[in-house]
Amino acid sequence: MIYAEHLRKEFQKIVKEPGLKGSFKALFKPKKETVVAADDISFHVPEGEILGFIGPNGAGKSTVIKMLTGILTPTSGECRINGKIPQNDRKNYVKEIGAVFGQRTQLWWDLPLQETYLVLKEIYEVNDEKFKKRMDFLNEVLELESFIKSPVRTLSLGQRMRADIAASMLHSPKVLFLDEPTIGLDVVVKDNIRQAIMKINKEEKTTVILTTHDISDIELLCDRIVMIDKGKNVYDGSLHELRENFGQTRELIFETANSSNITEEQFRNGLDLGGNDLVIESDKNNFKVKFNSRKLPVGEMLSYTLSLTKVKDISVKDADIEEIIRNLYRHGGESDE
Amino acid sequence: MRRIWKIYKLLAAQNLKRLMEYRADFLTGAISFLIDQAIGIAFIFIIFTQIPQLAGFTFEQILFIYGFSQIPKGLDHLLTDNLWCVGYFIVRKGDFDKYLIRPINPLFHVIAETFQVDAIGELVVGIVLLIYAAPNAGLHITVWTVILSIIAVPFAALIYTSLKIMTSAFAFWMKSSGFIIQMVYGMNEFSKYPVTIYSFPVRIFVTYIIPFAFTGYYPSLYILTESDPLFNIGGVIVVSVVLFAVSLLIWNKGISSYESAGA
Repeated sequence: MIYAEHLRKEFQKIVKEPGLKGSFKALFKPKKETVVAADDISFHVPEGEILGFIGPNGAGKSTVIKMLTGILTPTSGECRINGKIPQNDRKNYVKEIGAVFGQRTQLWWDLPLQETYLVLKEIYEVNDEKFKKRMDFLNEVLELESFIKSPVRTLSLGQRMRADIAASMLHSPKVLFLDEPTIGLDVVVKDNIRQAIMKINKEEKTTVILTTHDISDIELLCDRIVMIDKGKNVYDGSLHELRENFGQTRELIFETANSSNITEEQFRNGLDLGGNDLVIESDKNNFKVKFNSRKLPVGEMLSYTLSLTKVKDISVKDADIEEIIRNLYRHGGESDE
Repeated sequence: MRRIWKIYKLLAAQNLKRLMEYRADFLTGAISFLIDQAIGIAFIFIIFTQIPQLAGFTFEQILFIYGFSQIPKGLDHLLTDNLWCVGYFIVRKGDFDKYLIRPINPLFHVIAETFQVDAIGELVVGIVLLIYAAPNAGLHITVWTVILSIIAVPFAALIYTSLKIMTSAFAFWMKSSGFIIQMVYGMNEFSKYPVTIYSFPVRIFVTYIIPFAFTGYYPSLYILTESDPLFNIGGVIVVSVVLFAVSLLIWNKGISSYESAGA
């Protein structure tokens, strides 16, 4: 369905020295610098999948999404969606896609929402009967009724986001690009929007590419994730695999009568664990051991700790996805083996 | 084509509705516009209290040229005002994205979004001046002068539009080109008076480089004197079509260089 192959996007940036003097210098003798926003990005999304496209701020997510939607022309490489190259046949291509950029609305600021949809109906050539059906469906999943007569500028962020998603879905696109659709929203609205995305994906087999910084979005919605950092692919696989490959970190929390005598040295000396493989945090009655479970089985760590001190209670925490992703962002994808 | 017209009507109707909503803004715009026009006309009056003729033209003839020049200007202003926003901020802020993900021509989409009613002022002033000046400007009305002058108006407006498309498209490379549009557009002042009052280089400039002389003086000269329709009216058509083609080329090239803006 969606093929991205070796996508690369460079931007020319004029480097300015600070201050007015620097600006003048840049005006007459511009010093140009090439910034690579996306470098050799390749991935494939089959039909009907929800792909989580993630990465830290500035990683190049939006740049890639904009190339896929035909807004930006890649410096090199190619994307093909549904057999079409967005830049070559823009007008026909965009009929098949919908896009929401959470940070900015595509609706007309002063138009009542209802009229916005009427304009879009003409733009996308949706016939009356289909339009009515579609509006009923969108109303149902996104609950637009309460504000459909208000001008867009008076909508709350949550309402506006729902309105934007509905606008992008009006023409029943085969592919939906959602660039941070839950940004800045409260928990209830977020949940609402997730439900809607799920429903749309299920009922219409819409392929969805979703960028987000919200881990729950990924856990709840995505079959697979592609992670990029500094313009490069760093991970491509299922969430499950991510846990397997990168989630070796286990966390053991011990409750003791007195944990002040526990030091990191004791663990380091007794066990063969290097710098990144072990972290100890302790306060008065608790201490936490985070370690790489590939280097040392959990059982061994337990028995070693029990031999050190008297323990009242133990809890074991599984690798949480947020932690894994934080690790990935930090290390740029080299698994910490 | 029918679909395009339908979309245009829908958007234009929305614009009118918006106008009702922001009445104060509209009135301020209309008043400042009237003051601007009043100054321009007062200037001509003052000149003619000192001299009987300007470059061989009488007071009424000068008013006629002035009036004619306002009509294509107003027409372009009425229909394509949103191009200013492309140059000033739509591209810089990345808001051009939305035009690129809709299945209609982005240039048409941008243009259709605004219907600038302020421009009625220019059209009214233009028509009033023509009606006032025509009986005493010594013109000889024939079927040909009527037909050719009506043909000239949309092409003359296209000169304005093309220059705006071209200069606003610079924003795709420069991020903001508002001042360039303003600089080029501002030269339309030259179209209000006979080019023969300017020095030779200026005359060449407003005829062949930024060809605003074809939006006012040349077509008016034909209407007033019936001289040289091939250059005075044919010129308007050729210049506007060539300029429009060039502006589309630049615009399309610009779109492929569009860099959006970070989210």
